[in-house]
Amino acid sequence: MAECGEISVMLGAFEDSELEPNEMQEVAFHLARCESCTGILADYSTLGRNLRSISVEPKLAGFSSAVIARVERLPQPAHIRIARFFRRQMDSLGAGLAWGGAVAAAAVLTIILMTPYAEQFARKGAGSGTSVADATHEAVPAPNQIASSSGNEPTMADNDSQAVISRLESPNRSVAVWSEPRRDTTVIWLPDQP
Amino acid sequence: MRTPGRQDGDEAELIERSRKGDSAAFGVLVERYQRRVVGVAQAVVHNQDDAIELAQETFVRAYENLSKFESRSSFSTWLYRIAANLAIDFWRREGRHVVLHGEDAETEIGKLPTAQGDSFKEVSRSELSARLKQALEELTPEHRAVILLREVEGMSYDEISDVLQCPRGTVMSRLHYARTHLRKILKDVSGS
Repeated sequence: MAECGEISVMLGAFEDSELEPNEMQEVAFHLARCESCTGILADYSTLGRNLRSISVEPKLAGFSSAVIARVERLPQPAHIRIARFFRRQMDSLGAGLAWGGAVAAAAVLTIILMTPYAEQFARKGAGSGTSVADATHEAVPAPNQIASSSGNEPTMADNDSQAVISRLESPNRSVAVWSEPRRDTTVIWLPDQP
Repeated sequence: MRTPGRQDGDEAELIERSRKGDSAAFGVLVERYQRRVVGVAQAVVHNQDDAIELAQETFVRAYENLSKFESRSSFSTWLYRIAANLAIDFWRREGRHVVLHGEDAETEIGKLPTAQGDSFKEVSRSELSARLKQALEELTPEHRAVILLREVEGMSYDEISDVLQCPRGTVMSRLHYARTHLRKILKDVSGS
């Protein structure tokens, strides 16, 4: 059997289960026969419990915020400053884009909602102006060009009865020609021949 | 009491974000390890106010040196090592104790009378507590750190060896010395 002197240096590590398996076995065999070493081991165990009982839990309220405050006061390396600058710019740009998008959406919605009223208003304006222009005063392209023309063409209501002839497109007084671009139609009016 | 070190993806990401200057990410790491970092510092300096100051300094140093942290060791061990080094430096700077190393410490163990037999169960709680605190004060910071890291923080011998940057054998011998010393003092208390 091992002497107490040899075993006593291993008692703490035995208590901590930090010995090799063969050493654990050796100490265990010794303890089974040695009251003195068993007493020391019990004292180590009590000592550990006492040390844990007197340890006071540290007061850590505000600890992490104090650390972060100190960290944020540190001079930052150039690459971090640059990265932060770009991050801020990207945040601003993102906010700008969001506002721009919202304004654009509002504008589009307004246009959609207001278009019928605008058309009505434009139609009224056109109706009170010239319903039938003097064909002689117009410089009008040839009829075959008229049929396919578009662009500044007159508007015409969906209802045929409200059709407005804004421009006669033939120099001949006996012939009236007008186009209705929405329907892709060119109308040629001829008076009844006597 | 014991907080296992985490080396998961979450921690790696927090470390990476902290490296890029994200102080909020670093705040999460501080919250995660603050208690044990204070515990390590307190194991050496044995004063809670000093330990909290040292723990703050530990985190600031860690933040400044994150670029030097390599994932070969765990982040927690790296932190505890900084805390232990700062605490030992602080203690030496204060010059409160003569620090014993290696053979000197072993010689000191030999000088201690062997206490056997009676346990110190009968000693009153408050007296025991006061005497134990005093006995801890009498230890060198290295010996105190080893016994408190083991008994209070629950670190393994390998962890203590990593944190205090000394061989495992030294951890064992320091523990043996500290336990023998504390047991002897407590025996004296119970004997008187």
